[in-house]
Amino acid sequence: MPQALEGSQAIARAVALCQPQVVAAYPITPQTHIVEHIASLVADGRLRCELVSVESEFSAASVVLGAACAGSRAYTATASQGILLMSEVLFNISGLRVPLVMTCANRAVSAPLSIWNDQQDSMAVRDAGWIQLYCADNQEAVDTTIQAFRIAERCELPVMVCVDGFTLTHTLEPLELPSQDMVDGFLPPYRFVRALDPLAPISMGTLVGPEYFTEVRQMHHEALLAAEKEIVAAAADWSAACGRELAPLVRADGPPEARIGILTLGSVFGTLQDARERFADTPVRLLHLRSFRPFPVEALRAACQGLSELVVLERALAPGADGIVGTEVRSALMGIDGAPRVHNFAVGLGGRDVPLSIYPRLLAAIHEPHPRMGTIDIDPRYLPPKARATGETPP
Amino acid sequence: MPIMTPGAFAYPGTSLDFRTGSWRTARPVYQVRPSPCHAACPAGENPRDYLARMAEANPRAAWETLVAFNPLPAITGRVCEHPCESACNRGQFDAAIAIHNVERWLGDEAVRAAWDYPLPAPAAEAPEVAVVGAGPAGLSCAYHLLRLGIRATVIDRLPEAGGTLRTALPCYRLPREVLDAEIGRLLAAGIPFVGRTRLGQHVSLAELSQDYAAVFLAPGRQQPRRWDVDGRTPKDLHPALTLLQDWVALDAVPAIHSALIVGGGNSAIDMARVLARTGAEVHLVTHDAMPGPGVSRDVAMKAAPRDIDQAIEEGVTIHVEHGIRRLILRGEKVVGVELVRLKKLLRGDGRYEVVPFEGTETVLHVDQVIPAVGQVVDADGMGSLLSENGFFAAGEDMRLPGRDAIYAGGDARERAWGTVSGAVGDGRKAALALHAHLSGRRYETGPAPRPMAIADLNLNYFERAPRAEETLLPPGLRQGCAEIAAGLSPEKVGAEAQRCFSCGDCLACDNCWTLCPDQAVLKSRAPLAEGARYHIDYDYCKGCGLCAHECPAGYIVMEAESRPAGRQQGP
Amino acid sequence: MTTETLHDLRGDQPRFQGLEAGHRACQGCGQALAARLTLEAAGPDVVLANATGCLEVFTTAWPDSAWRVPWLHSLFANAASVAAGMEAALKMQGRDVKVIALAGDGGTFDIGFQALSGMLERGHNVLFVCYDNEGYMNTGVQRSSSTPHAAATTTSPAGVARIGKRHLKKDILSIVAAHHIPYAATASVAYPTDLRKKVRRAIQVDGPSFLQVHAPCPLGWGHGGELSIEVARLAVQTGLFPLIELERDVLIGAMPIRRVRGIKDYLRPQGRFRHLFADDPRAREELAHLQALADHNIEVYGLRGDRPDTLDSEGADTVHRGGRHFA
Repeated sequence: MPQALEGSQAIARAVALCQPQVVAAYPITPQTHIVEHIASLVADGRLRCELVSVESEFSAASVVLGAACAGSRAYTATASQGILLMSEVLFNISGLRVPLVMTCANRAVSAPLSIWNDQQDSMAVRDAGWIQLYCADNQEAVDTTIQAFRIAERCELPVMVCVDGFTLTHTLEPLELPSQDMVDGFLPPYRFVRALDPLAPISMGTLVGPEYFTEVRQMHHEALLAAEKEIVAAAADWSAACGRELAPLVRADGPPEARIGILTLGSVFGTLQDARERFADTPVRLLHLRSFRPFPVEALRAACQGLSELVVLERALAPGADGIVGTEVRSALMGIDGAPRVHNFAVGLGGRDVPLSIYPRLLAAIHEPHPRMGTIDIDPRYLPPKARATGETPP
Repeated sequence: MPIMTPGAFAYPGTSLDFRTGSWRTARPVYQVRPSPCHAACPAGENPRDYLARMAEANPRAAWETLVAFNPLPAITGRVCEHPCESACNRGQFDAAIAIHNVERWLGDEAVRAAWDYPLPAPAAEAPEVAVVGAGPAGLSCAYHLLRLGIRATVIDRLPEAGGTLRTALPCYRLPREVLDAEIGRLLAAGIPFVGRTRLGQHVSLAELSQDYAAVFLAPGRQQPRRWDVDGRTPKDLHPALTLLQDWVALDAVPAIHSALIVGGGNSAIDMARVLARTGAEVHLVTHDAMPGPGVSRDVAMKAAPRDIDQAIEEGVTIHVEHGIRRLILRGEKVVGVELVRLKKLLRGDGRYEVVPFEGTETVLHVDQVIPAVGQVVDADGMGSLLSENGFFAAGEDMRLPGRDAIYAGGDARERAWGTVSGAVGDGRKAALALHAHLSGRRYETGPAPRPMAIADLNLNYFERAPRAEETLLPPGLRQGCAEIAAGLSPEKVGAEAQRCFSCGDCLACDNCWTLCPDQAVLKSRAPLAEGARYHIDYDYCKGCGLCAHECPAGYIVMEAESRPAGRQQGP
Repeated sequence: MTTETLHDLRGDQPRFQGLEAGHRACQGCGQALAARLTLEAAGPDVVLANATGCLEVFTTAWPDSAWRVPWLHSLFANAASVAAGMEAALKMQGRDVKVIALAGDGGTFDIGFQALSGMLERGHNVLFVCYDNEGYMNTGVQRSSSTPHAAATTTSPAGVARIGKRHLKKDILSIVAAHHIPYAATASVAYPTDLRKKVRRAIQVDGPSFLQVHAPCPLGWGHGGELSIEVARLAVQTGLFPLIELERDVLIGAMPIRRVRGIKDYLRPQGRFRHLFADDPRAREELAHLQALADHNIEVYGLRGDRPDTLDSEGADTVHRGGRHFA
């Protein structure tokens, strides 16, 4: 039975259904509503959990790390500066191979200061060794949050569930929340074999010399690659439980004969779906890269079958280089027969609205003979005169 | 080959695979080092060791430790001048341990509880030694021979064993029942005693040499040394030794109005006190100085400080560092002496010279002058063995030069200690030398090692604690054989034992075990080899030296490592 | 003694040995000793969160670990937060296991300060133990906010223009106690009985507790490894490192100093203060300054003992035959 819930509230309810014993968080826009909802669930006795209101995101990540190692399911949420402040801990958590779930309410990173949505924050920690799953809508955020706990705990890896700040977190959408029984049937109680226990006292976080370091890193790498199977399995099992179709790695939406594809991460996917309905004359296949880490090379190749042009839209910038996602997509497709040309644009940085009108401009951009990375929605009028020439102009 | 674990976790205690002992350049070693009390004890006792057993509330083990050296603790605990206490490092911290009272209590307790001397039964074919003289030297020698599996028969000219202990020591210092009990128990432990047997009269040395595997001579000094002033002696001269022997045997003291005792030893003090008790005015003159801190043993009075103090309490006037310049005689009877101040000064050759100071003469009027200037050996039956000055020239092994199987010790020896404990020590050394001789080995005595100084201890770990003092009979009540010193209660004896620094031996205080940053010191519930309570695991000891520095007792020494660096094993 | 019986003996020690041999601390390391003493008193039912620093590095060079208790090292700054998370989890699980955070002075006074404050404010049932060796020793003896005034470190060297560290040692205990926590105390490796007693007290507290343990670093302080205890003892006996206990920010106990030693006794064995003994008016001024700081401590905390006491600076480390300790 669908109900209208704000994204944050839906995520909070999903988290509560997974019954974490410890939640730690530090307030930051646009994550606040998630934690506020969890706090009220705890206050109302609907979630039995130790809510640790820490003094920084650095400590939020540290608290959930400690809790998970001590044998409890733990959860945190943050965004933007918070991600960066906890970045040291993020590497540490994954390197220790500790299962955790964190929601990243994606937001731009300062400076300039912006509280609005883009994905610069999660992209900045793409190499932190976490699984990163992006959500196109709030139903997916609910489903992914629940799956994330199972994936994390089976893989002994932390999972970051990325939802666009405001666009998803603060938006009311009709969605279905699963029952507690459904979640309990899907997600077994937390069990971490390496949990700290005086009866089996292991030492975690050792000093590793050059003679062993590469092996630790390689094992971490392999674990992320192997996580793909668990992501697929979790989606299949959850799909069977809830009855909704779920694409675990890459979601492809559009006709098989389409020659043009547009790939994105997060809520822009929905915008593009709406635009395609309005501008229906060209067949276009829309792709949503749900799993950015691990990067699903095979699934992506399959989803791109038959395309000759692929536009990669991303909501982050790697200043001085090509796009973050675009580069990886190009690299994944390189060398296969009939690989599409990859066009790469940043869009919607710092909360800039992505209007439906962007769609025809994207389709036009594929005629660019030498595709290069650019910000497709720049307004050159605001640039100082000297910089206008270098700014990417709309075609 | 380690196999990588998820997140590189490690299993507990696996650091034991990493032997940090290879870092070491010096190793700590538990080493029992000589305590000053032991080094100072003429009887060879190691008070540190029996104080330890006492502190562990094991008095029987303490007594057995004690009688491994001295079989007469009830006696020496009362009469010894206890040089151990003068040497005690604790004396420089607060006050020396009252070792003599611990010793005395152990001796008394052994009598009370009838503990058996730990003596093996000698084998039937064991050799037998004749011991001449049943004083402390002879009894000690016979006892130690028995400990070493050699039988000994003791002969003495007197009907009862004890020697000087019985003939010259006042009963208020050494009650007869204590003497009888301890000597009786010792003889009963397996030492045949033949009394009323005078050498040269009832048996000859040649006969003894023929009948026994060896002979130990310990006749003591029974003849008063000759005394005069510029060749003159009063007609009615009675040496202190004779008067004391009469007093001890017959309870007879001559009626004297005033007397001057000459000498600074125990006999002089005893004589002075016996006379003082009759109401006589008693003076004592000696070249020696009053014993005390900073006063060399060479110039101090030989009598025990405790007895000197008691003599003064009892009214004896002591003129230390004085000598008699001349006797003032009326006819041949003494009416006074002229005293002069003097001092024993060290000469360039290391010997002391008595230097009188002109112009310091004073006159003292007394009607008796009683010399107590020492005794000489009664040469009967063994004159040929004595050296020119009338003593046995026995060496450290108590063997007479040029004689194969004749040993001598005790007061009759040249450079004798002149004390009961010295005689006990001589007897023990003689037994050891005899044992070596009879088993065809050489008796080796190395140079005496340096005893632990107070600087070798870590005093941070000791708390000041008052010394237990025994109660003394007030001077007015000191009559007859009433024992003056009361000794200590068992509680106080235990407390004294707890005060011991345990210089040079393990205090079992746990410091090394507690303070080792590397867990390289392991504690054992039961004593390990050589009584150690702790074991250093050299696989892990890095040689920092902290344990040695913090050992309160100086029981740990650092020795340089000679081995090349690398993995190595424990000892 | 054979290796096998040694091994048996090691397995049969009459104390809880939470930190095993084979760790790689320097010779005479005060921190290694402090950690073992802490665990000896805390017992096996603990979980440790260890900040980055010497203790972490020398105990756990993979594949070896010297710990016999569950132990987690995360980062330099977050020991208090990790401990808080552990505590939250164990509380939810209803388990009676005490969480102990271990950090050096860098991980306490400086980089870990915020996390520590947060943990204390939230009232987690965590014992935070700071091994105070007064500098960043693991990285090569740099100054921290715990380094004493005038001490030379590699980043506060003594030279023609400078006389060592210019600033004062941070009064971390007062800051911690100002969080109104149930128990905060200082201790020293030189007084192991007192240290263990304070650990037991801190463990029994339901809520946050804090121990600052003075732990000499022979390498960083420039003294022989054999002198670690001696130097630590002098720090107490001079008044430079008062041993005090606070409950809810109220002083409830101080180890009296029976015989107050001049600060030179403490400074002289240490290389980091060598420059203070130069024939230089500035050196004399700094000596006087340090003496004044010690005098100030003695006055503020009332450290001068008025009569000998078995728990004062002379009596507290008294040993007894058979290892009996009364303190």
